[in-house]
Amino acid sequence: MPGDATFYSSIEISASALSAERLAMDVIANNIANVNTTRTPDGGAFKRQLVVFAQKTDDDAKAQASQMGQDPNAVGNLAGVKTVQIIDDPSPDRLAYDPGNPDADTQGYVHYPNVQIVKEMVDMMVAQRAYEANVSAIKESRAMGNAVLGVLKA
Amino acid sequence: MAGLSFGTTSELLKDALNGASLGHAAIANNIANVNTPGYQRFDVVYKQALAATEPTPPDPNELTLATDNPRQIAINGEIPAQPFSVSASRVDNPIKMRPDGSNVDVDQEMAELTQNSAYQQTMAQFLTTQYTRIRSAIEERA
Repeated sequence: MPGDATFYSSIEISASALSAERLAMDVIANNIANVNTTRTPDGGAFKRQLVVFAQKTDDDAKAQASQMGQDPNAVGNLAGVKTVQIIDDPSPDRLAYDPGNPDADTQGYVHYPNVQIVKEMVDMMVAQRAYEANVSAIKESRAMGNAVLGVLKA
Repeated sequence: MAGLSFGTTSELLKDALNGASLGHAAIANNIANVNTPGYQRFDVVYKQALAATEPTPPDPNELTLATDNPRQIAINGEIPAQPFSVSASRVDNPIKMRPDGSNVDVDQEMAELTQNSAYQQTMAQFLTTQYTRIRSAIEERA
């Protein structure tokens, strides 16, 4: 039955999103922390980082579904979300004219990170709201589980 | 159905619970992918599959061609009962909710989550009541 594998897996689906959104929050916090960092191990100013989300597919579930004659694309794709990579924002550095700064270039400009605090704050709210939505989904999963367990008490 | 069966009501409620469970997984997956660019939402239409487990009567507003043999071609005849089967299917909505190509509306998903959960809990309650009834029949007391 398609319902068999989904009961606890729906909590796992939501949990995958919780960890993905938490990673997004960590990256945003790191961006904000490094808003004025002009020196990095790679040289140059800190680059704003972004988390890339992708849909997670469960290949085991797909194989199992096709064995049972179900649409493998439907079942195997209900596996939540994953973060595939953390990429650097390629937009240009923020330049400030400050010839006295030890990190100023030959023209007297200091390269500051391409981090905009307001943007990071908005991204953080997006991640936080998504996190809360998934917490609600887990709570509903629990409520549904308890309702089914109530059948045992009949 | 193999083995011991307690009648069509509990079979129907079992199918309803299975459908609601898969529906919940699909909604949870949609909410999990709320920040995934280009994601297309999944939907489980288990209530239609549930309705199809009963024979569908002919449409009274349409002309019916009566048959007395199953090999005759019936027009607007009774559609026989189908076994319950559900799967999650992708909804390819051309109207995108968001500029990143995703068609997930988190408010709608939250509403569906609540609705689906309430439905599942109602069905579980019905099943509990059904088993209580059967138990009182077995134990020969009210």
